[in-house]
Amino acid sequence: MTDGDDGPPLVDLTVPPSISDYLRDVWRRREFAVVVPAQDLRALNMDTALGQLWHLVNPALMVGVYFLIFGVILDARAGVDNYLGFLVVGVVVFHLTQRIVQDAAVSLSRNEGLIRSIQFPRILLPLSTVNGQTLGFLPALAVAAVTLLATGEVPGWRWPVMAAVLVGQYMFNLGAALITARLGAVVRDVNQILPHVFRLLFYISGVLFSVEAFVTDETWRALFALNPIYDVITCARWCLLGDSAPAPVVVGFVVWSLVLAVCGFVVFSRAERSFGR
Amino acid sequence: MTRSSMAQFPAAAADGPASEAAQLSAPPESEVTVSVEDVHVCYRVYDDPETGLKQIVAGGRRRRRFRTIRALRGVGFDLRRGETLGVIGPNGSGKSTLLAAMSGLLPLESGRIRGRSRPALLGVSAALRPSLSGRRNIVIGGLALGMTREEVRGRLDEIADFAGLGDFLDLPMRTYSSGMRARLLFAIATVRIPEVLLIDEALAVGDQQFRNRSRRRIDEIRASAGSVVLVTHDLNEVTDGCDRAIWLDAGVIRAQGDPAEVAAAYESSVGPA
Repeated sequence: MTDGDDGPPLVDLTVPPSISDYLRDVWRRREFAVVVPAQDLRALNMDTALGQLWHLVNPALMVGVYFLIFGVILDARAGVDNYLGFLVVGVVVFHLTQRIVQDAAVSLSRNEGLIRSIQFPRILLPLSTVNGQTLGFLPALAVAAVTLLATGEVPGWRWPVMAAVLVGQYMFNLGAALITARLGAVVRDVNQILPHVFRLLFYISGVLFSVEAFVTDETWRALFALNPIYDVITCARWCLLGDSAPAPVVVGFVVWSLVLAVCGFVVFSRAERSFGR
Repeated sequence: MTRSSMAQFPAAAADGPASEAAQLSAPPESEVTVSVEDVHVCYRVYDDPETGLKQIVAGGRRRRRFRTIRALRGVGFDLRRGETLGVIGPNGSGKSTLLAAMSGLLPLESGRIRGRSRPALLGVSAALRPSLSGRRNIVIGGLALGMTREEVRGRLDEIADFAGLGDFLDLPMRTYSSGMRARLLFAIATVRIPEVLLIDEALAVGDQQFRNRSRRRIDEIRASAGSVVLVTHDLNEVTDGCDRAIWLDAGVIRAQGDPAEVAAAYESSVGPA
């Protein structure tokens, strides 16, 4: 054996890393949070006849069902020119957030074995959820684009702005995912509650009907602007359908995205070392 | 440095003839890879009493109760360069908890663990996806262990060779035999060797040929001046493959020192097989 100090000195391993060390570790392992969810996405439909085509067929069917019920049978088309286009944007944007937040709530409990055997920044697990669902959302976005073109929408200068909306929504989703991930790890009941929360949100976010047309009271409109999901859907429709986007809605969207991303990180990282006990 | 473990030594001396020399001569700090100092670990678990209708009616205020399980109660030792340390003891004695605490997976109640780098448990099985191919799982496992995709791709053939997968490399992992799966798990888990490797009963898998191969891999780790902590129920593994042994019992070290002596003391306390 060599003598003298030929290695780094003994350091206390029980001290938690600083935020900058933590983030550096996350960055170093970033590929994990992209490759693994991408592989899981592949595995999802591997044994089906349509295979990876399901990533396109699924959102198309979902929008088709909503169109049949709310567009044709119940006719909620008031105040909307291109109802199918209006619906497809609302539905795919809403479902992205819903799936991320619900999936994030079980991201830690589902990976308990991993948490108990390998030391890594736990934030990679909800981050993987967000990345996986966002990747799975891209085919749905393609379905939306094709639907818009088929229903006579003409891509203008606003279409590229959708990229900025997606970045904002990514931050919003990540923040929400980090919060539900921690909640879900502490109180498993969250998994039972979230579907109901999202069912409520689905009906008050203007996914199926135009809030502008149905809600005329100014106070109520202001309250709708507080709903982050209504904000993001409205901004997306501004980009893709040329709808109007009132200032409170845009401000609400930006503020929600920034605040939730920061709060989510703080809420999650505070419990970092308690996960998997 | 080993104050705490020495404090427990009288109890150990009363129970077994563990070698005092190994315990009392503290190694120079440059020879130490991990120093475990008076470590206490507690689990808090929900008490799960019967809560039928009768209990609800009878008990005025119903409340959930925590019970604290003290899994480690003042464990201390120094792990030296190139050393293989065997940890034995009955089920529930704190062996796995010790490894989890060393790898940073469990927070300590009190005490300190110092080291030059973070010890890592051998094992990636929890990261792998049975429905995906061996090749994809090698990438997933490597990433879970903190490698980059580039690094894993560079070592892919080597891992596949070591696991002896042959034509199965591109078939889903769930089609593998249990031996084949065990070989793949070991091959992935040891692709990135930490300076201090913690093994929890990992060598009990696979056929004889594979056990020899994995033994050689562990020898390689020791040769590269790393250290190994091996938790096992197989006393032969301790006497043959370890330089030192620790006998854990109810969260404290009953004895530590020469593997043969510690194993013999443990065996006699358990009673004849």
